[in-house]
Amino acid sequence: MLIIVVIALLMAMALALLRAIRGPTVYDRILAANVFSTKTILMITTFGFFVGRPELYIDIAIMYGLIGFIGTVAVLKVSEFGNLGQSGPQSGGQ
Amino acid sequence: MIAEIINVVLLGLLVITAVAAIRLHDLFAVVMVFGIYSFLAATVFVVLDAVDVAFTEAAVGAGISTILMLATISLVGRWERRPAHRPFLPILVVVVTGGALVYGTLDMPNFGEQSTPVHEHIAPYYLEQSKSDIGIPNVVTSVLASYRGYDTLGELTVIFTAGIGVLGILGIRRRREEKNSEG
Amino acid sequence: MGFVIEVISAMLLVIGSVAVLVSGIGIIRMPDVFTRLHAVGITDTVGAAAVLLGLLLRYGWDPVMIKILFLLALLLVLNPSASHALGRAAVHGARRPWLSDGDQG
Repeated sequence: MLIIVVIALLMAMALALLRAIRGPTVYDRILAANVFSTKTILMITTFGFFVGRPELYIDIAIMYGLIGFIGTVAVLKVSEFGNLGQSGPQSGGQ
Repeated sequence: MIAEIINVVLLGLLVITAVAAIRLHDLFAVVMVFGIYSFLAATVFVVLDAVDVAFTEAAVGAGISTILMLATISLVGRWERRPAHRPFLPILVVVVTGGALVYGTLDMPNFGEQSTPVHEHIAPYYLEQSKSDIGIPNVVTSVLASYRGYDTLGELTVIFTAGIGVLGILGIRRRREEKNSEG
Repeated sequence: MGFVIEVISAMLLVIGSVAVLVSGIGIIRMPDVFTRLHAVGITDTVGAAAVLLGLLLRYGWDPVMIKILFLLALLLVLNPSASHALGRAAVHGARRPWLSDGDQG
């Protein structure tokens, strides 16, 4: 049963990777990376159940969720404001 | 068996990601592809049962290095320039080095073998003597902080220096901007 | 009782797999960023929730369940936030010259 989930996740990963490579705007690539992190989390959790030690793998999955969110928000901040130092669009001199 | 198939598929995706990162000239897109690359690499490490390496890969690859590369891009601009020279000599060097490395792996012991020097030489000593030598229950901590203490000190020096360098480079522009806005 | 839970878990896992696959196809087929966000939302909510709940039912009563529920709550809070931030940045970016040269394909 778990193998179906793993196969579906692998295929969806390949599709998201294709979008990240092709994606015309930069937002397509950010979107693909974001959905890729979600799929990685699901993949690791499923694989933890697959090998029978889910408690260890779920910790990694939780940490991936947090790191993926921080990364996505940092990337969006750069793409919106131009650098990481500004606190908002008003404070910048652009 | 199934883990091997998953591994092969993930490694294939890794190769595609690496080729895409080379072919793209928009550095912002390359950073995003690298984020995907590090998620894939971490999944490979998890499938290979190297959970601690996967932790490190997630924290360093997907977390801090994405942010550092983005900060660099905000300094150097977003588009890669066309290289001025031909790529044949670098390709020759890379192919020869890669061939030597692949040739080196032929001498490595099989995956998970018990009778390798790593498992026979010094690891049993650490496992048996760390309690009486150091006196703390965690063997990893005693190896890192006492048996290989100078090694760890050197690593920390390198990381500290690298951190100062990164902060220096990334902090220059902000300070200059502040000075410009004041004057 | 155990059999019923097994069947429900299998159904949830299949639903999650189908949702993840549909979302992957949607990410490829949709025409622009804002429509692709809809496809991403399928993975982030239905796919993740169905897969994680299916796994949770499979494992039975254990402290691990709390971790799975925590992970699910985390995903359900963080991913829509990231999607929202992405949509907002895309709306702003369409008006900004920094991203518009050759980028708006």
